[in-house]
Amino acid sequence: MIRVNDEPIAWQGGMTVRQMLSACNYLFPLVIVTVNDTLVSRGDFDTTAVPDEAVVKVIHLMSGG
Amino acid sequence: MKQLRIDLSKCDAGRNCEHECEQVCAEKVFKFDDPERAALHIRELPDGSALTIICDQCGDCLSICPTNALTRTKLGVVRIDKKVCVGCFVCLGYCDKDAFERAPGATEPYKCNSCGLCVKACPHAALEIVDVPVPPTRLAAAPTSAPTQGGH
Amino acid sequence: MSDCTNYDFTKRTEYLDGLARFKAAHRVLAEVPFKPGLPQRGYNHRSLYVNVGTLKIEEKPVTQQMKDIFVGGRGFGLWHLWNAVTPETRWDSPENEIVISPGPLAGNTQYPGSGKSLVVAISPQTDIPIDCNVGGYFGPLMKFSGFDALELQGKAAQDVIVFIDGQRGFIRIEAAPLEPIDSHVLAEVLTHMYAEDEADLRNVSVVSTGVAADHSLIGCLNFSWYDLRRKAVRLKQAGRGGVGSVFRDKRIKALVCRGPVVKGDMNNPVDLDTIAKLGIKMHKEIHALDDQQCHMRRQGTAHLVEVMDAYDLLPVHNFQYGNHPDTKNIASGVWDKRFTQATVDGCWYGCSLACSKGADGLVLTTGPYKGHTVTADGPEYENAAGLASNCGIFNSDSLLEVNFYCDTYGVCTITYGTICAFVMECWQRGILDAERTGGLEIRFGNSAAQLEMLHQMARGEGFGAIVGRGVKKMKEFFIAKGWGDPQLINDIGMEIKGLEYSQYMSKESLAQQGGYALTNKGPQHDEAWLIFMDMVNKQIPTFEDKAEALYYFPLWRTWFGLMGLCKLPWNDVEPANNAKTAEPAKVPEHVQNYVDLFNAITGAQINQELVILQSARVYNFQRIFNIRMGKGLREHDMPPYRSMGPVTVEEYESRAERYDMQLKEEIGVDPAGKTVAEKIALHRAHRTDRYNKLVDAVYKRRGWTPNGVPTLARLEQLGIDVFPEVVAVVKAHLPA
Repeated sequence: MIRVNDEPIAWQGGMTVRQMLSACNYLFPLVIVTVNDTLVSRGDFDTTAVPDEAVVKVIHLMSGG
Repeated sequence: MKQLRIDLSKCDAGRNCEHECEQVCAEKVFKFDDPERAALHIRELPDGSALTIICDQCGDCLSICPTNALTRTKLGVVRIDKKVCVGCFVCLGYCDKDAFERAPGATEPYKCNSCGLCVKACPHAALEIVDVPVPPTRLAAAPTSAPTQGGH
Repeated sequence: MSDCTNYDFTKRTEYLDGLARFKAAHRVLAEVPFKPGLPQRGYNHRSLYVNVGTLKIEEKPVTQQMKDIFVGGRGFGLWHLWNAVTPETRWDSPENEIVISPGPLAGNTQYPGSGKSLVVAISPQTDIPIDCNVGGYFGPLMKFSGFDALELQGKAAQDVIVFIDGQRGFIRIEAAPLEPIDSHVLAEVLTHMYAEDEADLRNVSVVSTGVAADHSLIGCLNFSWYDLRRKAVRLKQAGRGGVGSVFRDKRIKALVCRGPVVKGDMNNPVDLDTIAKLGIKMHKEIHALDDQQCHMRRQGTAHLVEVMDAYDLLPVHNFQYGNHPDTKNIASGVWDKRFTQATVDGCWYGCSLACSKGADGLVLTTGPYKGHTVTADGPEYENAAGLASNCGIFNSDSLLEVNFYCDTYGVCTITYGTICAFVMECWQRGILDAERTGGLEIRFGNSAAQLEMLHQMARGEGFGAIVGRGVKKMKEFFIAKGWGDPQLINDIGMEIKGLEYSQYMSKESLAQQGGYALTNKGPQHDEAWLIFMDMVNKQIPTFEDKAEALYYFPLWRTWFGLMGLCKLPWNDVEPANNAKTAEPAKVPEHVQNYVDLFNAITGAQINQELVILQSARVYNFQRIFNIRMGKGLREHDMPPYRSMGPVTVEEYESRAERYDMQLKEEIGVDPAGKTVAEKIALHRAHRTDRYNKLVDAVYKRRGWTPNGVPTLARLEQLGIDVFPEVVAVVKAHLPA
């Protein structure tokens, strides 16, 4: 189990940041992701693993044109 | 089209010359004292290799100008029509080869027009103007990533 | 359709046949010469006043006080309007003004999004000032002709065109009896009529509306720009609040400005090199990153459609629900293909974000232009959400057609979307039926009825003419007729102060409820968009946190409207390292860009704090103006319940798990054994109470009384206590 923005989300082995975002339905492009307080840059979303029990923050920037 | 090319084996990253190409370009073509203002740049990088900034007249900028100030001449060279240019510098921002220049205080950019003066000035004959086919115009808004799909 | 490299996007129906005949019928009613000039450091220090009734045309000075307190753009608009009207002025009083003002930074060609004008008038829908932010070339061209603002007052005896020739130096009011007023025709005709040759076409911009503005209160203004590659006139909208209806009430057919050839230094800025450096930095940033971020260049704001759906924020069926299985039919993948990509779509020079996408080769299937081939501007997110998903219509072709007709008829698409959604739900709930609508089966999903209702509005007949009064007046009308439960009608009619909501679901975001309801003009999202910050990031959990966001962001966003700037380049693209900054939501590097831009053009030395102070003066002035006109107190900041929580059983049951959990965890009540109606009532009491606590916190943070009146201390802090009339309005509402 991981926590994303304080919500419990089911975890699978090998889950990447991209997969985590997909599981949360977080489609918004301008997001800032930290995994256990470490910033993950957008270019690394497909290659960075989210470990079990991780505390993840997905900070969305503003929208609203 | 007339395209400026450099042979780096002859150029030696500007180590064995006075950067005459840049000097003549800045002074004679664009009327600046400072060779930094040339429309081409030859630099030696820390690892000894050469960084060359040269316009290859690729025309990727043609689709980006809001006023159609960028067109190809009869010789295929991309030129800026200063009467029509509004000075937005989107071309300068978008050129992946950094081929556009702006001088302090200027309202328009400038660029290489394949005039060949640098070719004559080079003491090692490293530069030449060649005639190559005009490439197709590429769209500035061409996708580099897949468009997002919608719905659930 | 592919990305249109093989489609000839210069092909469309032309409307120039009648040009010579139209021009021959013009009669000059008044003409006054002026000395064309250019701004110095962003200001001409002159504004233009035109009364289309008395035919008075005169120049007025822009004073230092105006610059210090009102800065430009919306500030100048509000200041002129304040001086033109009394509390008794209504939208159709002759003394109502339409004020158009670009702003000191507008017209620079280097920084993306620098071509905006601000339009201010007393709104037919709200009876208080409306302010609109619009692209197109009119504002900068007028500025480079010599004027920082244009006031239009009075009412003409016949249809007139007001023409500002910034090359030859005259202003003319001419009777123009024959031209059709629909914008896609009129703007093309007048651009060609007033340009002296083909090269001159891009120096002409037309402000116009359309026939629907003659028969409704929801008319918008279109501001044109000449698209060189399409060889066509394009339109941007000053949409909200019915300014187009005021325009037509004054019997103005069009405003035309013919400006000088635009160059990059016409603001005569202090420091052009800094402006160029900032612009180039943004062009490089957009070039490198837009395609990985918001896809603005390819999709415009339509990239948001599926995003909002994913977060349960896309309005569906009159804001009942936040997503729908058919959203993919109107989502960005569709528009990426349908928009023509082979051209430059900036609504002012130098905007590399270039999000004014167009769909070419649209063959219209209904209405007076059936069979014509046109270019539809957009759709933007608001159009897709308002006209399509909120109405249960998930069809991209019908969206393009209704979007096109709204634009040419001069109808605000956001307003029409929310109006349609309201009447469609009224149909769903039996408040309306075929007898009451004159046979129009205006149910969710009926795109043909949506279009026909718009055509009726344009003709001024049938049910279409009724909906053109807007949601607020429709609610009153339906209730007076006894057509449904008054509470239900009031709950589902999404408007505040008379202005319809724009297209985001605020139901689950208390911060956004405040963001909409506490916006000066009415529920438009341009002051605050806080949904992610509130609901997803959970960054503003307390009332004070929300109040701080509702203090800062409206003031920051107001700033764009003082300057003549578009806010999209601020946060619809971000620098590569934005994530590493202390407050990424503010996009601090971009905020600093704007500070530097202001200083580089005007020679001032402001910083990020002073930016907020500049806005706060105008913002509070606008609040006081609202009070003066009768709608600026706490009671006017109360939203319809649909914007705050579930109104109906279906709404509750669609998210029963979430709402039951909230009953338990937030309200402290066990949902077991309770009927849905009881649970709805419990939610309502809780949410209403919560909203009022938010209002308390926001008013306090803004320096206002619990009734929403700016205090004298706040006025002094801002320096707007120098106006005795302003102080008098405030004093009348302060405790003795």
